[in-house]
Amino acid sequence: MDDHKSVYIKNAIWLTILTVLEVGVAFIDISRTGQIVLLFAFAATKMLMVAMIYMHVRYETKVLQKILFIPIPAGILFTIALMYDIPFRWVY
Amino acid sequence: MNQNQALPIPANDPFGKATTGKLGMWLFIIIDGLSFAGLLIAGAALRASAPSWPAAGELLNIPLTAFNTFLLICTSFTMVMALNAIQKGDQAGLKKYLTYTMAGGLIFLGIQVYEYYHFIVNDFLLNTSIYSGVFYVTTCFHGLHVLSGVIYIACILYAASKGRYSADNWDHVEILGLFWHFVDLVWILVFTVIYLI
Repeated sequence: MDDHKSVYIKNAIWLTILTVLEVGVAFIDISRTGQIVLLFAFAATKMLMVAMIYMHVRYETKVLQKILFIPIPAGILFTIALMYDIPFRWVY
Repeated sequence: MNQNQALPIPANDPFGKATTGKLGMWLFIIIDGLSFAGLLIAGAALRASAPSWPAAGELLNIPLTAFNTFLLICTSFTMVMALNAIQKGDQAGLKKYLTYTMAGGLIFLGIQVYEYYHFIVNDFLLNTSIYSGVFYVTTCFHGLHVLSGVIYIACILYAASKGRYSADNWDHVEILGLFWHFVDLVWILVFTVIYLI
């Protein structure tokens, strides 16, 4: 088996394991905040694994990597800002 | 001629050996990713301001969707194996793995239609609640991407059957792979936000 194939297989196995853990976390009895943090951590890990290994982002140049990753913190900041704005803007 | 040797690459090129087609797909992925971000952020804002929201598994079938997630992971593996095969000049391997990927995509869509059918017969419609609206719009938008991906794979598979790709010419397969992996990547987030949280 060539090196790439074994890396791809291991990645698929880890993605499956993380998916099972994610589903488990959604149903275990822990605090809501802890649950959300864990679920986002699992999702972020899985997305990073798909991007780095299957999309070969780790082999791209630093410039392209920066272009791809910069929108992510921008989106997170936008979400946080929107959440703070909700009590002032959204009225039913 | 090798696709990466078609044009001389300046030593200080910020994008290395990436072809214009590949850069175009990356640009599309960034834009499309922002579209998904817009939908998910809008969903989060609606949820934060809604008086109540169903808990995970209360309405949605988590085991079935978890299986769908597993299926998309498998198709990402078969897609990267298709690229791996053609990079070694294995045309039969390319066709085999592309067929597996397309079949996985079609099964994913079939399961999604099955899920929608059960919701619709139980009067869980687009306009039933804010929750149902967020659910249908986000998952339908993703489903359309899967459908587009399946059609895209069919086109590349047709070209592969004509012997268009080789160890020196696999750019189109790589670009298709980027799109398909993006569809998988986005589903990871949609599954977490819509189904599990």
